[in-house]
Amino acid sequence: MKALSVTGLMKTFKEKSGDVHALGPVSLDVTQGSFLCVLGPTGCGKTTLLRTIAGLEIPDSGSIELMLGADGRQPVVGYVFQQGALFPWMSIHANVEFPLLARGNIDRITRRLRVGAILEMVGLSDFSSSYPHQLSGGMQQRAALARSLVTQPDILLLDEPFSSLDTRTSQDLQENLRNTWKEAATTVVFVTHSIEEAVYLAGEVVVLGHRPGRIVRRQVINLQDPRSRLSQEFTEYLVSLRRTFEELVEEPE
Amino acid sequence: MKNRLPGLAIPLLLLLWWILITGEGSDTLLPSPAEVFSILVHPFQDQISTGSLIWSMTVSLVRIALGFSLAVVVGIPIGLMMGASRQVRKYLSLMIEMARPLSAIALLPLSIILFKSETLSQFFGMSYLRYQKHLLNEMQLGMIFILFWGGVFPIILGTIQGVRSVRKLHLEAAKVLGARKAFIFRYVMIPSALPDIFHGLKLGIGRCWMVIIAAEMLPGTNSGIGYLIRYSYQLSRYDIMLACLVIVAIIGAFFSKGLEALGEKSLVLRSRER
Repeated sequence: MKALSVTGLMKTFKEKSGDVHALGPVSLDVTQGSFLCVLGPTGCGKTTLLRTIAGLEIPDSGSIELMLGADGRQPVVGYVFQQGALFPWMSIHANVEFPLLARGNIDRITRRLRVGAILEMVGLSDFSSSYPHQLSGGMQQRAALARSLVTQPDILLLDEPFSSLDTRTSQDLQENLRNTWKEAATTVVFVTHSIEEAVYLAGEVVVLGHRPGRIVRRQVINLQDPRSRLSQEFTEYLVSLRRTFEELVEEPE
Repeated sequence: MKNRLPGLAIPLLLLLWWILITGEGSDTLLPSPAEVFSILVHPFQDQISTGSLIWSMTVSLVRIALGFSLAVVVGIPIGLMMGASRQVRKYLSLMIEMARPLSAIALLPLSIILFKSETLSQFFGMSYLRYQKHLLNEMQLGMIFILFWGGVFPIILGTIQGVRSVRKLHLEAAKVLGARKAFIFRYVMIPSALPDIFHGLKLGIGRCWMVIIAAEMLPGTNSGIGYLIRYSYQLSRYDIMLACLVIVAIIGAFFSKGLEALGEKSLVLRSRER
C-alpha cells in the first residue's frame, strides 16, 4: 500500500535575478512502512521536494497525495529540520509536548505519558527540564526527533537531520533512527547528500540529479540488519551509487 | 577591576561638584552636596508648602504608573497587530510616524483644550474629595494623556520589531508540528518577541520620566516631583531642586534596570541558539 504519492511535481522560485527552476518534474511513490532516502548533491532540490510534501512550499504543478490513516483520519506528518528548530525558550519537555498541545484534543495525563515515553526512547529522560542551549548538537537533534515522533506520525520527513554533527554522533543517531523506524512501523522519507548515510539507513534510495532536480536512479538496498559499514555488500552499494554521482558531476548542466 | 569603573563615576561627580562650590573665588549658586543631602535625609518633612518629598514622589509615581499602564495596554496590542499583519502595518504606520515627532511637550496646549484640568476624582464624580488631600485629586487627565503619549511609541515600535524578528524556522517548525495560527501567535510569536517588547517598555518608561516634568507644568498642578523642581527653582531653593533631580535619577534608573533585567531573562533564552 502506498503511503505517499507524488505526481509530476514542479517548483520554480522567483528570484530577483530571474526564475530558478528548482525541482521536477518528479513522480514518486512511497510504500507504507518503507524507509526511503532521497540522495542528491547540494542544490539539487531535495529539500524543496521534502518541504513541498510537508506543505511548506506550494508546488507550481503536480500533486501530492498522502494516504489516510488506518481509521480514515487525516494522516499525521512529522518533520525534522536540518538544525533542530527547537524553541529555545521552552524546556525539552515543553518542546516535545508542543505538537500534542497544538493538536488540542489530548488530555494532560496522556500528554505527559507520551512525552515521557518518547524521551525515554531517545535517551533524554534526564534532560526533560533542560533548555535546548544546554544540550549538545546531537542531543538537540534527538530532542527534535522526539518532538516529531511524539504525535505518532504516519509519515516522517527528515531533512539532513544529522549533517551538522560529527561522524561518531551522526552514526549513533543513524542506528538509533533505524531502530526507531522498525519499532514504530512508520513511513520515513530521509533527505541526505551523504551516500554512506543513505546506504546505511534506507530500504530504497532515490538519486536526484542536478537542478532542476529529477530522479536519475532508484536503487533498492538489500542488506541484513544489523547493517555493517564494513561489509562487502555495503561497499558495493556505496561504489555503485558513487559512480552515479560522478556521472552527474561530469554531465554538463 | 573593569566592572568597578561605573561605580567610580558617581564619587568622581560628587568630588567635581564639591570642588566647584568650594573653589577659590567661587560665586556659584550651586548648593553644596551636604546641603542637598540634608534635604534627602528628611523625606517626610514638608518642603516649601507642597508636601514632603515622599508625597511629591508618590504623586509622580502614581501618575507615571497610570500613564505608562495605559501606554502598555494600548501599545502592545497595536504593536502585535502591526507586527503580525502587513495590512495593519500599512494602514497604521503613516499615522504612527506622523504622531511620533509630536513630542509630549508640544501636546501640552492640546491636552489642556481636550481635558481642561479635570482630575480623576472629578471624572469618577467623587466631588466629596475636593477639599481633601487625596491622590485622586492630583491625577489630571491631561497629564495621564501626556505620559501615555510619551510612553506609547517606543512600546509600539519595540513590539513590532519583536514580532517581525521571529525566526522563519520557528514558524515553519510550529506549522509542520500541526499548530494553527492562533496557537503559533500565542506560543511562538509572543515568546520570541518578548525581549524586544521589554526593550520597548524600558525606553517607554524612560520617556515617561522625561515627560513627567513637562506634564506637571499643566495649569492647576501643585504637586509632584516635576512641579517641585520648577517651584523650588522659582523660589531659588536650589538645594531642594537638586535633591529632586537626584531622586528622579535614582528611581528612573531603578525602573529601567528592572525592566532590563526582566527582558534579559527572555533574551538569554532566545539568543543562545544563534
